[in-house]
Order: sequence, then C-alpha cells, then structure tokens
Amino acid sequence: MLTIDNVVTSYGMIKALKGVNLTAESGKVTCLLGPNGAGKTTLMFTIAGILKTQEGSITFDGTEMSRFSPVKIVELGISLVPENRLVFPMMTVRENLETGAYLRVGKDKSAIADDVEAMFARFPRLEERSTQMAGTLSGGEQQMLAIGRALMARPRILLMDEPSLGLAPLIVEEIFRIIEDLNQTGVTIFLVEQNARMALRVADQFYLLEQGKITFSGTPGELEEEEVIHRAYLGSRRE
Amino acid sequence: MMDEYVVSVISNMGMISFLALSAYMLLLTGEISFGQQAYFAISAYLSAMATAMWGWPLWAGLLLGAAAAAFAAGLIGVLTLRLRGLYFSIATLAFAEMVRLLFVNFHYQVMIDGEPVGPDGAEGFRDIRWIFEHNVSAFEYMAIILAVLTVVVTLFFIAERSRLGSIFRMLGEDPLLTELQGLNVIRYKVLASCLSGFIAGIGGAFYAHFATYLEPQIFNVMLGVHGLVYGLIGGLGTALGPLIGVALDIGFLEAVRAIQGYRMIVFGGLVAVLLIFMPRGILDEERVHWLRMTWRRWRNAAR
Amino acid sequence: MTDFIQNCIDGVMIGSGYALLAIGFTVVFGVLRRLNLAYGPSIMLGAFVGALLYIQFQAQLFTVAIATVIVATLTGMYVERLCFWAIRRGAALASMVSSFAIWMQLEEMAVIILPERTYPFPALTDLAPIHIGPYFLRSEHLTMFVVAVLLVIVVHTVLYRTRFGLAVRAVSENPDAARYMGINIDAVMFWAFAMVSAIGGIAGFLILATDQQVTPYFGLWATFKGLIAMMLGGMGSLPGAILGGLILGIVETQSLWYLGNDYRDLSAYFLLFLVLIIRPGGIFGHALSERERAALRRV
Repeated sequence: MLTIDNVVTSYGMIKALKGVNLTAESGKVTCLLGPNGAGKTTLMFTIAGILKTQEGSITFDGTEMSRFSPVKIVELGISLVPENRLVFPMMTVRENLETGAYLRVGKDKSAIADDVEAMFARFPRLEERSTQMAGTLSGGEQQMLAIGRALMARPRILLMDEPSLGLAPLIVEEIFRIIEDLNQTGVTIFLVEQNARMALRVADQFYLLEQGKITFSGTPGELEEEEVIHRAYLGSRRE
Repeated sequence: MMDEYVVSVISNMGMISFLALSAYMLLLTGEISFGQQAYFAISAYLSAMATAMWGWPLWAGLLLGAAAAAFAAGLIGVLTLRLRGLYFSIATLAFAEMVRLLFVNFHYQVMIDGEPVGPDGAEGFRDIRWIFEHNVSAFEYMAIILAVLTVVVTLFFIAERSRLGSIFRMLGEDPLLTELQGLNVIRYKVLASCLSGFIAGIGGAFYAHFATYLEPQIFNVMLGVHGLVYGLIGGLGTALGPLIGVALDIGFLEAVRAIQGYRMIVFGGLVAVLLIFMPRGILDEERVHWLRMTWRRWRNAAR
Repeated sequence: MTDFIQNCIDGVMIGSGYALLAIGFTVVFGVLRRLNLAYGPSIMLGAFVGALLYIQFQAQLFTVAIATVIVATLTGMYVERLCFWAIRRGAALASMVSSFAIWMQLEEMAVIILPERTYPFPALTDLAPIHIGPYFLRSEHLTMFVVAVLLVIVVHTVLYRTRFGLAVRAVSENPDAARYMGINIDAVMFWAFAMVSAIGGIAGFLILATDQQVTPYFGLWATFKGLIAMMLGGMGSLPGAILGGLILGIVETQSLWYLGNDYRDLSAYFLLFLVLIIRPGGIFGHALSERERAALRRV
C-alpha cells in the first residue's frame, strides 16, 4: 500500500535519511524499529508531508505523493498519530475527536457523529471523559484519544509514532492490544517504535532503521533470530 | 571644515547609537525592551537640570544623569525579574510611558538672571545652553560624542571576548542552563539592566545639550522602538550591528531627501523585505562567525 | 457616589471599544504567537480613507463604515503576508520588527492621504442622551456598546460553532497537531488575521465616530489600548481581553474624573505595570498552556 523508495531527507544540514526503502502492505502491521536519532520521526514527517525528500519517491496505492502538501496527504487517507500524542489540551475529548474529522466537517455531519459514537464504543474510557478537557487526561487516555482522533479521518493507513513513549508498562500493553484490535478490524498500520518486545506481538513485518538506512527487514520470526538485534533491542541474549 | 549639516547628522547618529546599544545589550540577554527611551529621558532631564540650573560642568551632569538612569534601570530590572518575553517587553513599555507622562507633569524651575529655567511639564525645558556658554563648537561636540561612543563600543568588543560577554549571551540563549552553571542569574540580569540604563543615559545627556530643548513628547515609544529595531536590523552578532542599523536609517533619511515625503514607506518596506531574507539582521551571529573564520583564513594564507 | 457609578457606566461603554481592540490582539497572539505592532495603524489607514470619503465626497455614515472596515481588512492581509507569512516560522522576533516597520509605513501613508493634524469623522448618531434615574447614557456610547456586544457574540459563534473556528482554535493550541488533521495552517492564519482586522476596523470606526474626529496618533493609540486591555485581562484569553477592555475603560474614566486629564493615561499605565509585576497572568489569572508559556519566554 505504502512504498518508500530510496528516500533521502535532510533535516537542516544533517542528512537524516540516506536512502530508505520499505513497504507497508495493506491490512498488515508494519513496524519500524530503531534507536534514538536513527531518523524514525524524520521518516514519519516525510511521509506526512511536513518534510520533503531530496531524492526518491513515496507511493501510496499507486499515487506518487512525495511532493504533496500535508493537507493533501491527509485527504489521500494517511493519518498520523504523532509522537507525544499532541492532543489539543483545551478542547474537550469530543472536540478533539471532531478535529480529527476536520476534512469531513460540513459535508458529512451525521457520519461524523456516528464515528464519534463508534470511537466511544471502542474506547469506553474516552466516553466517560467526553466533556473533559483533553489536557487533564492521563497519558494512556491521551494516547487513546490521539488514536481515536486519527481514526476519525477514516484513514486507509494509520501512522503511529512511538505510541508507547512515556507510558507505564501496563498502559503500553493496553495500547498494543488496541493496535492489535484495530488491525484485526482491517486497519493498515505503520508503526514506529523503540519497544521491540511489544512490537513483536503485533507486527507482521519489521524494518530496522539505523543512522538513516534500513539495516534489516523481515518477519517477527526472523527478527527474533538475529543476534545483534536481540541484544540491542530485546534486552537479553537469546537463550 | 565640515559642513554644519553633516556635523549635525553625524552627531545625531552618535547619540542615537547610545540608545541602540542600550537596547542591544538587553537583547543579548534575551530581553526585548520597549522602554530604553525612559533612561534616555531621565538622564537628559537630570543632566540638563544639573548644567542649566545648578551650574554643573557638562561631564558632571552627564555622569549624574547616566548614573540616575542606571539606577532606574536597575530598579526596573529587579521589579521585572519574574517576567519573561512579552510580559517583560510590555512592562518596560508601560514604565517608559509612565516616565514620559510624569515628565509632562513635572514642573521645577529656578530663576536665573531673572528668567525661569527648568522643566515645565509639556511646555518643555528650554535653554540648555552649556555648550554655547562654554564655546564648544558643533564640530568639537560631535568629536566628543564620537570619542565616547568609540570608547563604549570598544568596551563592548572587549566584553564580548570576556567571560561577562559569554555569560550575557548564555542568559539570552538559555537562562536555565546559566543557572545550572552556578551563575547568579539575578545578579547578571540586574547588571545588564543597569549597564543598559547607563549607556542610554550617556546618549540622553548628550542629546539634551545638543538640542538645547527637551519636551516629554520626544521620549515616546517611537524613539524606543527605533533604538530596538536598529539592533535587530543591523544584527545581534556584534556591537557594530546597532550602529549599522542607525546608519541605515538616519543615513538613508538624509541621503534620499528626494523622497522626503515617502521615506518611511520606502524604508519600512525595505526593512520588511530585508527581514524576510535576513531574519536575524545583517550582521547576525552566524555571519559574524563566518566573517571571523574567513578573516582568520585569509590572514593565515597571507603569511 | 453618583459620579462614581456614572463613571463606571461611561467606562464600560468606552471599554467595550477597547475590548474589541484587545480581541484583535488576542486572536493574533493565539494563532500566531506573535504581536502585531501594525494593528492600530492598519485600522487608522482604514479610518483615514473613510474620513477622506466623508470630507471629499460627503459620504454617508454607513459608507464611511464600510470603507474603514474594508481598507482595514485589506491592510491587515497585506501585513500578514509581508510580516508574518513570508518570514520563516521560527523567526518570531523578525516578524514583530517587520510589523513595526510596516507600522511606520502605514502611518506615513495615512499622513499622505490627509496631511493635517485633525480631521472630522461622521457622528455615530444624532440621538439625545438617555436618562435613567440620576445617570445618563450618551447614545453614541450605547450604540458602540451594543455593536461591540453583538460582535463578541459573532466572534464566539464563529470560534465555537464553525469549521473555521475549530481550525483557529486547533492552530492556537497546537499548530503541528492541527497540520496532522489536514488543517491548512497558512490559510487559517491568513483568514484569522483578516477577521481580526475587520473587527479592528469596526472598533476603530465606532470609537472615531463617537469622538467625531481622527488624528494621525490614532494608530499608536489603538495599539496601546488594545495591548493594555489584553494584558490586563490576561494574554491569550478572550474573556480576559473583554474584561481587560472594560476595566481599562473604567479606570480611565474614573481617573479622568478624579485626577484630571494629566493623570488619565498615567493611571492606565500604572495599573498595567502593577498588574504585570504582581500578577502577570492578568487580572483574570488565565492559566497559560505550555506552548503559551514557552512563547512568552522568548518572543
């Protein structure tokens, strides 16, 4: 569905991505692993259209979109759950969800209302807090809200930038359960993570990004086999 | 001998440069002050009172004025310690306007040779004639201004290389980091404030005796923002930046008399366009660094 | 006591004009996190064109109003494109300096249009003052107040019940997140600026039609009033801006009455200074978002 072909992106004077190749297949969960500073967020921003590639191309369902503006990219059906959630703190939970559907507002009123209800059904905790200001929610709740908000655009692919960041382990488990559920209802997910252990549970395909280049690509099974990766990311040597 | 008109223009540039440098100093520490004109004013009035009403010599009046300005600036520095960014700026603006309005209500005159002399509220303060009574020519006065300005700018250059300069710039970049280095942020902020007031005060005292006439209206927000903007246009990389800004504006004003009625329209537009391409001014930190490196390389190659 | 209350009434009426000006600053600050120093002068340019029409062509009150608002809005758009859009996102200081440069530009343009010091402006209304008990309400004041209230209601509706308003609020709270929602940041900023300039135009028209004259000092004056009102009530807060405007109006009228003309402006600045030193968040004590706090730390 989403193909990234030899993408080179510079962040100021630093070449953050030095020729990245990967594919996120429709209906699957694709996970990009990598240490801090490897360029994961740069890649996310490049896909979302915030940063522009100097070389290479990004193709989504056959459409070459590397030159598109962020607005057009959302219109294409690509929704981003940003790093650190970035909910709108002074808007209510409900309003946050509504901003997610921004591009549909005015055209689709009842459908949007239905979608909000659907989000509440999926995330009951959000419904409890529907009139609360998003800034007062806990980290895990904000993550749920950010995911729900991104889903409101009815995206064809969901990009998630480090959903486990800053969350307690129990909450992280819950978030990944949600990711798994989402995928099972047919949502294609492209996930960027540092927490490889949790990612192993949900991802169908792995890529490893190190210093701006892809150094590994394979299935979860293949990931677990690789010694280096084991030590670096999963924390312990393979028994 | 130099044309009287040119002397007057250069003198003007010199005096305003003090104001620009004073705003520049605070800009280094990361604060945007809309109120430096208040210190300019305080020193102008006080030094003029000293020479015209109490018979002091010019240099004594100047020192008194600048010291008073420094004191006021220090006071404001202390009061606004908690304020940052925009809040600080507006507070300085409010203070400067208060000072101006206080001068509008300030009446204090003594009789000298049967004539009342002294500040008379909005009517102004006339006959600040020290330089005429002591036969200082316009040219000599300009030279004095430029000499003092050179000293001040040299001190700036020395300070830039010194620890104080780095501390001030660090305050501007990252006050938290400065604090973590064990440096007393409060002391340095207040010091910066006092120094900026003193420098503005020097300029104010010179102005009072140059113009021989003061009125509160002169020391309005326009004056202060001009001083501030000179540094921002000329660049914050070096003390020459504000001077470039001054030269650009006043020099431009005089050089292009043909467009007298449209000067601001053209200048304002030019500044806006300039800022699109050089948002940190002409001689910003990056460019100054580049210039220094190039100079060094050129010097080494010439050996 | 009667005087005091009369002054309060007058103060609230006049303050409603200030509140409108403050709203302009507040929205721009909310959406762009910058100060627009060319705000007052933009309004003044509009007013000068309006005055020109009045003097040269004996234009009607309504025409003058429309002209003022349209020119103010167009000028605002010009300022936005030149000073705020064209300058890189990170260069906040440069934008403010640029707006100052344009302030100077606009003042000169206004003076070219009408070179004298004072010009007549059409009267807002000819009606006699209304008496309520021992107090009286000048009809111009009442008109200004009513229009201001209506305008506030309109702004509130736009912000909270329209798609555009949703976008404005989203951008104010977090422009990055707003971008991820597919919101066109540049367009939102542009139209928010236009809206604010139109409001400023209306506010300027109301104030000048009440005074029945316009001078070249109006630009600076309007900027000051808007700024002071905004800071009194708490920067970044719309209800704060309104409250700040009303308080400013009351403080001015009271000090004018009890202390005389010389101390009227002084009191306003003194109050502002006091509020900033003691309670920088404004009288309303609006809790600032992290982004606002960060923006305020370094302009």
